[in-house]
Parts: sequence; structure tokens; C-alpha cells
Amino acid sequence: MKIKKLIKRIREDWVLYLMLLPGITYFIVFHIVPILGMKLAFQDYRIIGDNEWVGLKHFKVLMDSSAFYDVLKNTIIISTMKIIFIFPIPIILSLLISEVRSGRFRKYVQAVSYLPHFLSWVVIAGVWISFLHPADGGFNVIRNFFQLPSIDFMTSKEHIRWVLVFSEMWRSAGWDSILYIAAIMKISPSLYEAAKIDGASSFQQMRYITLPALLSTVITIFILNLGFFMNAGFDQVFNMSNDSVNSVIDILDTYVYRIGILNGQYAYATAASLFKGVVGIVLILGTHYLSKKYTGKGVW
Amino acid sequence: MKKVLLTFVMILMVGVLAACSDGEKNPKEATTKEGEAAGDSGAQTIKVVFKDDGPSNPVAVSYYEKLSEGLKKDLDLDVKFDLVEVAQGDYAEKLNLLLYSGEIPDLIYFQGADKQIADQGLLEDLTPYIEDSKYIKSIMNPYNEARLRNYPYLLWIKPLDNRVPVVRKDWFDQASSSATLMENPTVDNYKAFFKEIVQIGDTKNAVTVAGDIRELDYTFDMAFGINKTWLDSEKGFEHYKVSSQTKDKLEFYRQLYEEGLLDPQYLTKKHDTKQEVFYNGETAVIPGTNGKVIDIYNDRMRVLNGEESQLQVLPPAKGEYQGFGATDISKESRGLAISSQSKNKDLVFQVLDYLASPEGQKLDRLGFEGEHYNVVDGKVELTEKYYGDWYARYWEPNNVEFEVAESTPLLGDAAEKSLLSVADYYSEDNSFVLPEEYVAQWDAMENLYKEYSADIITGKKPLEAFDDYVKKWYAAGGESLTKYANDNLK
Repeated sequence: MKIKKLIKRIREDWVLYLMLLPGITYFIVFHIVPILGMKLAFQDYRIIGDNEWVGLKHFKVLMDSSAFYDVLKNTIIISTMKIIFIFPIPIILSLLISEVRSGRFRKYVQAVSYLPHFLSWVVIAGVWISFLHPADGGFNVIRNFFQLPSIDFMTSKEHIRWVLVFSEMWRSAGWDSILYIAAIMKISPSLYEAAKIDGASSFQQMRYITLPALLSTVITIFILNLGFFMNAGFDQVFNMSNDSVNSVIDILDTYVYRIGILNGQYAYATAASLFKGVVGIVLILGTHYLSKKYTGKGVW
Repeated sequence: MKKVLLTFVMILMVGVLAACSDGEKNPKEATTKEGEAAGDSGAQTIKVVFKDDGPSNPVAVSYYEKLSEGLKKDLDLDVKFDLVEVAQGDYAEKLNLLLYSGEIPDLIYFQGADKQIADQGLLEDLTPYIEDSKYIKSIMNPYNEARLRNYPYLLWIKPLDNRVPVVRKDWFDQASSSATLMENPTVDNYKAFFKEIVQIGDTKNAVTVAGDIRELDYTFDMAFGINKTWLDSEKGFEHYKVSSQTKDKLEFYRQLYEEGLLDPQYLTKKHDTKQEVFYNGETAVIPGTNGKVIDIYNDRMRVLNGEESQLQVLPPAKGEYQGFGATDISKESRGLAISSQSKNKDLVFQVLDYLASPEGQKLDRLGFEGEHYNVVDGKVELTEKYYGDWYARYWEPNNVEFEVAESTPLLGDAAEKSLLSVADYYSEDNSFVLPEEYVAQWDAMENLYKEYSADIITGKKPLEAFDDYVKKWYAAGGESLTKYANDNLK
């Protein structure tokens, strides 16, 4: 019955479904089909001849490594910090941008905040290393102006995770706010007009109209972001790491890159990726279930 | 319109299915296709994968065309080269992905991660080929021979790639401590030289490295008694990274750091920023790879700071031993391999041997006549383009058969001296290829060393923390690795 309905829908809106096709194709080719390759985690790969099934050997090696738990701990800490401190920023930014009355200024702020998203982490790392330079970096110059001593942030174990958080925030806040700005634009202006007539202040309009309207978008994005929880930012860490701080920012992805990719141990790398994927799925399903239970809203 | 769109959809779906099914089949099938003879004009085709030498590189395409012409002319061999484009990014990583996808060219240039491929039996043992070779066996260096005995799959006849310290010659000549340093380059004399050179050049510091103190180790390791990876101590073989010699060396680096002689920002330096501070006079000394790299530094320095700023090569520090570090002879860390699946293995080696011949060397070392060099009165005169663009892709033996004009030497004075200096102090290491089961443990042990050495040098941890590090190093896998070393080293 459902299939018949679907076919009927496709016939009625076939142009829309046609437009959907490239996206579906992309996901099938690059996200669904590779799942089949995950069997490599349970095999020793042979370029010629049949692969050898080795069961959980690679997972055992992964779990037996003392370094694995260190990088897992770093991954969880950095990801948690990023979720707590970065996730609300695009929401706040979108609320602030939507309050800007001058259209030209709003466009300017949006353009400036989107720009860092297009820079590679190589460039961003260079910018931040210069900005935080203990002798003549902008941030330490400001600190010195207020009689505060310079800090070598890039080689400080206490500060480097914060550098990751703030540089990620700088790079992604503007771009990530696009979805929220779009959601705000969808809110009917009549709601704001009615609120104004009732004497609501700007803050009250934001509190009682904008934020509730954003809630489902926020929850959806939050749950989907949790799926990437174990991706603490390979490119960022790779470019910002050095011998002094590597022990506190070495994450699962950089570890897998060194052991799995650079040493050609792809089965080992696949096992680690599968582990990450399973954690991501558990987090998505768990949060979706809890969100449904307590707020009535979820991803689907 | 509807029909057109439907046709488009059908084509797209078929394409997707085809792409998916190819991905499953290609890896195993491709291996049987490699190296097959090309049909047209009877020429044999050799598939080559080499860093930066894909079909999109016009210089590489011309190079292999000229190589084909040379092989035809000198050996009457009809060979064509099919260059493989490797995806952009880290070469070793992308090459491995290519090989693991089942596409195995006849001739492969590796820059690491070759052992896993060799372990699968995909690389040819080069020993019998070299024994029967006409030219290659005569141009091999002692370390090539030793490496080939331990690991017969890779060949890389190039000068040793150690790091030698260099300084501007005009500053060097002004320093009163220079002569003492050259005569007796003890650690103390090095320190005295560093102190003086900072004043002469009005630099911010004396020496910097690109994020990794190992660059400086080449100069100082042996002076502190680190003459091999596994040091022969009373307890048996002990890894140098947990030895008292390393502790002493770190103490010396720490002093350099405290006194502002070692760049306080060395940890965040990259290769480009390291060179930048050298050229703009913020630092006086940097270590560079001997040979061509020193030439590049020298040319850049002269262009930016005038003729008098050409470089002076400094000697390795002298102490218990002297040298630029022991040479790893366990295997080549990079080099060329022949696929065991190739149908043209003999032909591929013939090409490699030809490149070691006087004719092959002329092409490989000098480039294209009329473009990179000219022959005037029987002597080779190199052009500006040679110095700017050309590098030898294959072999670089110490001696060449052709005469190069004195006005345009293959290498500048500083680069030539750096090569000679490294060769003078050559000694063999006793390191070995790490067994696979130690790879993950070694990563943890290396990270411990890097962290503690960086923290001790920069004063974040006291020197006494070295003892804690040693305990952690042994616990992280050092104990079993040391046992393995003692069981296997003689």
C-alpha cells in the first residue's frame, strides 16, 4: 500500500524527485556502498588472492594498545568541548544577525563570518600561530598592554585544546549559522507584528517567537552533529600539533592516520573507523530517543 | 522532454551501478593486466608511478619521451612509458591507495610504506638483476649494498640525506670563534660560536629547526656518544632514546634554549618559516639536507642578501665520537621497486641500468640539451633553467662521466662540501626494520620521547623527568622491544 502511495507521489511530483536523484546517487555511491567495504575490518587484506578472515584481530590490537585509550580520551574531551562551546555560537550569531536592521550591514557581517569557512586548515593554522605568537602575536600584544605576561599558547598543554575550540569556532560559526538564519526567515512576520501590537520588546519577541520556532532545527542539527562526535577534527589537529602538545590533542583520526594509513595497515584503520561509526550511530539513536521522549521532537 | 529526462535518469543509474560493480572487481583483475605489451608498433609499455611525474606534468612527459628515444638509439629497445597520475596529497599515502586498489605499475617509486607491499610478495628481489647489471653495480654506494642485503626490494642510489648546519659566510668570517670551531668543534666551542654569531648577525637566536629537534641531532648526537640506535652498554643493547647520553644531550639543548640560542619557537616552525627566518636574518644557523637543498638555500640567500652571504658548512660536533649520525642500513627509506607481477621485469631493469650509463646519466642528471644545458667545446654548460627546475629523478652517483664547465658546476661550493663532509663521517647504524607487532607500541614510545624531550628542552619539565620518561618508555613496549633487539643484534 505504502509503495503504491510512493509511486503515485513520484508520478505526481516526478520533477522534484528527479532533482533529488543526484543527491541520492551521491549518498549511494559514497556513503552506502562503502559500508560493504567495512568487512575489511575483519580481514587481512591481500592485493592478490583472497582476503583472509581474521575475526576481531584488528579490534583486539586496537583495544590492547595503551595509546588507543589516550587518543580516545583526547577525542572525547575535545569533541565535548567543541559541542558545549561551539554549538550555541551559530544560534546566537543567527539571532543577532536577524536583529540587524540595516540590510547592507547584515550582508556584510554574514559575508565576513562565512569567509573563514573557505580557508584550509593549513592557512588557518598559520594565521593562528602568528596571532598567538608569544613575542609579537596580536593576542599577546593585547595581554601585554594590560600588563599580563605572554603565553605560548601553541606549545602549552593547558591552552592548546582551547586554541582548537576557538579556532574551530572562528572558522565555522558564520557558516553554520546559515541553517538557523534560514529557519528564522521562515517564521511568519505576522507573529512578530502581533507581538509588537501586544507590546512585546525585541528580547521578548526573540524569547517567545524566534527561539521556540528554532527549536526543532536546533534539535535536529544537534543530534546529527553527535553522529560526528568521534571526528574531533583531523585537519585541524594535524596542522596545529607539535611535540609539546601532541599528547593532549592526539585524536583517534590522527592516530589511525599514523598507524593505519602511513603504515599501510588499512584493515586496522577500517576497524578504528568502524568503531567510530558505531559510537556515532549509538549517540544519534540514543539522543534521538531521549529527545523524542522528553521534547517530542527528533530527527524523524 | 519527459523521454529525454527518463533517458538521462536511466543513463545515470546504469553509470552508478557500473561504478559500484567495477569497484568490486577491478582490484583483482587489474593486477593481471599490468605490464602487458602494448599492441601498437611493437613497442613494450612500462607503467611507471613516480612522485610528481604524472601525465599532467609536461616536463615528465618530455623526460620519458627522451628516455624512450635514448633507449632506442643506444640499446635498440622499443619502450614506451605510461605514467600514472597519483592523486594530490601525501604521495606515500596516495600511492598505497593506488596499489591496494589493485593497480600495480611495473616500476614504482616508494616514499615509505613499501614493506607491507613487499610482505605480500608484490615486489621483485632486485639482487640477481643487480649482479647481472652492466652499470648499476658499479655506481652503488656501500650503504646501498648493505641496505640491499637486508631488504632486496628497493634501490635508491643517491647521496646520503643527512642534515648539515650552515651559516652565512660573511658572518662566519667575522666571528673570532670560527677558526676554533672548525679545528675543534666540541660542544662547548659550538656554544661559544652560537653566542658570538648572534651578536655579529644581530639575530634573535643562533639556530632553529622545523618543529623537530632531530634536525639538530644530526650535528650533536655523536658528540654525546650516540653513535648507533642501539648502544652497547653493560646491560646489553639499550635504545639511545632512553640512554644517559640522550639525557646529557637534552640538557645541552635545554641550556641553548635557556640562553636564547635555540629558537624559542622551534616547535611551531615549519620548513618554510624556518627558511624565512634564516634568510631575513632572525636566525643565524639552520640545518639543511646535504647536497641540492644546501644549494637552494645558498642561491636564495645570495639573491636576497648579496654575493657575500653565501653559505658556510659547519662540521659535526666532536666529543666521544664525531659525525652526522650513523646511517641506517636496514633498508632504503625510499626508492624504486619492480612489481613482481610485471610481465616486463627484465626490460624495466634494463631501463634502470640504462639510466646508470653515461648516456642515461646525461639525461637524468642534466636535463634536455639546449634547454637545461649546452655542450660548448666538449664541456657541459648548465643554464639558469637547470638550476631553477631540474633534478635527477633516478641515480646520483658520486662520479659523472661528462665534464662540466667550471663556471656552471653541478653543485655550488657549499653543497659540494656538505656532500663531502657527510661522506667523510659515514658509519653504519645497527637499527633494524621494526616487526609489525611493534608498530603501535613504537608509536606510543615515540610520542613519549617527543613530548618529554620537548618539555625538558623548553623547561616545562625538569631534567629529572627524564627518569620518569624512561620508565614509561619501557612500560609502553620498550621492554619487549629491547629484549627483541638483544635477541637479534650481534
